Amino acid sequence: MINLKVVSPQKVIFEKEVEMAVLPGAEGDFAAMPNHSPFISSLRPGQMVIMSANKVDESFFVSGGLVMLKEKVCEVLVDQIESLSDVNSSNYQQSKTFQELEGNETALGTFEQVVNNPPYK
Amino acid sequence: MPNLKELKNRISSVKSTRKITSAMKMVAASKLRRAQDLAESSRVYADSLSFILSSLAGNTKNSSDLPEILTGRENSKISLLIINSSDRGLCGGFNSNLFRNAKNWISEQQEKGKSVKIITVGKKASSFYKKTDLDVIANFDDLNSNDKQLQVSEEIKYKIMELFENNEIDEVSILFNKFISVITQEPTYQSLIPLSNEEADEEVTDTSNAVFEFEPDKNELLEYLVPRNFLTQIYRSVLESSASEHAARMTSMDNATRNAGDMIDGLTLTYNRTRQAFITKELIEIISGAEAV
Repeated sequence: MINLKVVSPQKVIFEKEVEMAVLPGAEGDFAAMPNHSPFISSLRPGQMVIMSANKVDESFFVSGGLVMLKEKVCEVLVDQIESLSDVNSSNYQQSKTFQELEGNETALGTFEQVVNNPPYK
Repeated sequence: MPNLKELKNRISSVKSTRKITSAMKMVAASKLRRAQDLAESSRVYADSLSFILSSLAGNTKNSSDLPEILTGRENSKISLLIINSSDRGLCGGFNSNLFRNAKNWISEQQEKGKSVKIITVGKKASSFYKKTDLDVIANFDDLNSNDKQLQVSEEIKYKIMELFENNEIDEVSILFNKFISVITQEPTYQSLIPLSNEEADEEVTDTSNAVFEFEPDKNELLEYLVPRNFLTQIYRSVLESSASEHAARMTSMDNATRNAGDMIDGLTLTYNRTRQAFITKELIEIISGAEAV
């Protein structure tokens, strides 16, 4: 199990033990699992998925951020995070504008592309 | 001899002032608790971010590889000062301490041959600096909710990034009242550009234990991290300043309540004495009148 800690500038959103978390890294999705080599990456807007036993437990939409991965700890610094079911096109649009202001030129894709493209097969 | 009615009115007006100040004190106390909680909960993000930034910057051996926005420009000519004041008054020396401190800092900078620009946060600073001949670039006020505090920090961040890129400023510092305890708040400067030494010192100890892989490469990551770091530093100073404001208001309102109490005691004493004097005087008049008959 790895300790997944999701933090926004305002507060710690949640912290729990998970088997695996799939995150939308700037250069491709990656899975955070125990004993991963120390790793720091920025995130692009997309889905963060918590999985156990090859099943999806929870999915979230993150609007971008940073992740710091250590042996037993995965710290995700997000700008905004929503449970995927709470995301609709208008608040997606908002975070997209946010990203553009940021000068982050990662290809974003439309709302449908992000939501209907889970990072697992 | 003082007028009885006048005294009575004064007592009742001081009493209602005491009610107001004691209510304000209690409001400030509960707001202080909230502000402290917020400052506490935002610390996790800020700490992680500065850890990442320092391991990144520490990993780059040659400081000339680092972007200008991190190390600052050589021969910097123009400094920007962000002043965190409050929106409302009645908080003791909170704002005046800050402004006095800023004045010294500004003349120090000017002696070094730098020109100073100012961004104000809070209504008090904007009305204060309107009267001076300093170059105020922007004002931000109405920081009454947490979301608004974050939003304002965001706006300030864009502003300083833009100004720096257009070569309109070379250095950035924030001035805010650091919350030390409920009775002490201290005007504190923090340098944003160049990145303050405090964090540079941490690098050495922090990076030794873990070697991180970075994705995308360091420079790209830094480009992303630097504005993010500005945001958290500014946001942190805003929160700290708001905790200090409530603490300052709480202590000053506590003092005001106590002073009002003392004043009421004094006035009541005078009132009773005057009343007694009137009675005695009247009695003497009656008796001497009766004797004359």
